[in-house]
Amino acid sequence: MSNSAKIIIVLTVITLFSGGVLALLDNFTAPKIKAHQEEVKNRALRAALPDNDRVQEVTKGDYRFYAAYRGDEMVALAFEASGGGYQSELRLMVGVTPDFSTITGAVILEQVETPGLGTKIQEDPANKENPGWFMGQFTGLRTEPEISYVKNEEPGNDHEVRAITGATISSKAVVNILNEHIKKAEAAWNE
Amino acid sequence: MNLIVVFISAALINNFVLSQFLGICPFVGVSKKMDSAFSMGIAVTFVMVIAAMVTWLIYYLVLVPFNLEILEYVSFILVIASLVQLVEMFIRKVSKPLYDALGIFLPLITTNCAILGLALYAILNEYNFLQTLAYAVGAGAGFTLALVIMAGIREELELVEVPRAFKGAAITMVIAGSLALAFMGFAGLI
Amino acid sequence: MKEKPAIQEFIKGLWDENPVLVQLLGLCPTLAVTVSAENGLAMGVAATFVLVCSSFLVSLLRNVIPNQVRIASYIVIIATFVTIADRFLAAYTPEISKSLGPFIPLIIVNCMILGRQEAFASKNKLGRSLLDALGMGAGFTLALLVLSSVREVLGSGTWFGMDIMWASFSTWKVMSLPPGAFLTLGCMIAAANWINRRRQT
Repeated sequence: MSNSAKIIIVLTVITLFSGGVLALLDNFTAPKIKAHQEEVKNRALRAALPDNDRVQEVTKGDYRFYAAYRGDEMVALAFEASGGGYQSELRLMVGVTPDFSTITGAVILEQVETPGLGTKIQEDPANKENPGWFMGQFTGLRTEPEISYVKNEEPGNDHEVRAITGATISSKAVVNILNEHIKKAEAAWNE
Repeated sequence: MNLIVVFISAALINNFVLSQFLGICPFVGVSKKMDSAFSMGIAVTFVMVIAAMVTWLIYYLVLVPFNLEILEYVSFILVIASLVQLVEMFIRKVSKPLYDALGIFLPLITTNCAILGLALYAILNEYNFLQTLAYAVGAGAGFTLALVIMAGIREELELVEVPRAFKGAAITMVIAGSLALAFMGFAGLI
Repeated sequence: MKEKPAIQEFIKGLWDENPVLVQLLGLCPTLAVTVSAENGLAMGVAATFVLVCSSFLVSLLRNVIPNQVRIASYIVIIATFVTIADRFLAAYTPEISKSLGPFIPLIIVNCMILGRQEAFASKNKLGRSLLDALGMGAGFTLALLVLSSVREVLGSGTWFGMDIMWASFSTWKVMSLPPGAFLTLGCMIAAANWINRRRQT
């Protein structure tokens, strides 16, 4: 057998084997990975939206809205908001009342912030009772005139949150993303 | 996100070497001399830009339409490996001086994780084609910058008494640590 | 040449030819994921899995694969096992998979793994190749575990997520950040150099 024929055969067999193994693997793991992503989304929706009977998905403009209904009345809307954090992109799920004036809840879907500093926006190990205190502050927050943050003191107004010491930029990023996207989403929703 | 932001973010804030830890091997290996560090940086940037474009096209024109995302890693690394060979042959044919300058670095680039890392991050960040391009140029510029700074410091280091245990890789790591600290100053730039 | 005892192939990876501290291979994941001991361990185990499986297959096929395409074949084999590891982590331990991010696929270009195929598995019998791969994997995991433990304990005051430092301990934030990785690894390499020179004299 000539050498080049051997090369072609060996390479083909190896790639076929690789493709076959991976196809099997895909069948086996893809549903699990998908289920996990669903679960993450549903958990985020539960945290961002108040108690509801059903959630309906509506796409308007650039946004996909999750509208929560209690009976026939729409009680809140949730949508994804993303933007630049300290190191890379932050993705949030935020819920607001139908008039976009008050936040019903906000959670972080994805963040790759500095471990031990920026990651405190999601989980602050220093606060044992309530490690998620930072995002918790957004529940019930007014969005007008706009969300702002204060450092090293308790927030005095109903549109202020307290920034995390040592993670000001990440805290600020969350506030900016929310301000920007709540306005844009409101425009998209009312179109 | 506009292209300049992508570029600056890749070059400075998320510098491939100093904050993403990609391409450490050539960073340690090829940063003794200024001119070879610069050549290596250019060679890597060159391959990065081409590899990023080709892998982007493969992912969105072949893998996604046929639902073959599971083959992402296998196909990317094969493409990068053959691309490096092609680039090497091409440069040898077209420009002798360029080949002399970059040639010896090209084979090393296949296993440079910065290339595969770039391709993977471009997909992960859901960049479009132009953003991928800006990202590749930025990452390459950042890589070159880190390599050249390091080479500059190491040339000076030749004249300094370093504790024996720290000679070589260990002191390089410590210096890289200080550089990384300096580069952290860029965070929050955008 | 006299055959070395087979167990030697395993032991050399732990210290004398430790991939991270002595050979300086596979540094990218070493530095990037070692923010917490859990990540370091997961990375070590994933890389060991890929290394052992690839060495097994490469050693098995060492007389079949033509010389000209050996690197391409190794890369395909490695990439296949990496995909397997990646998908398994994503399906069963989504948290770890997320925090390791693209560094799982980057095991493909971990020079340690390709290096072992080229330098060892393609030239040695199955048993020895497996022992060599296990030894290298264990050495890699060990180095990662030490590095990540130092960084997690000093940087966040925890180890595997458990609080272990005294209450007034103020964390060295820089250890969780990129500079901390470079500094710690630099000191570890220096320590390894120092110990090795001591032993020689």
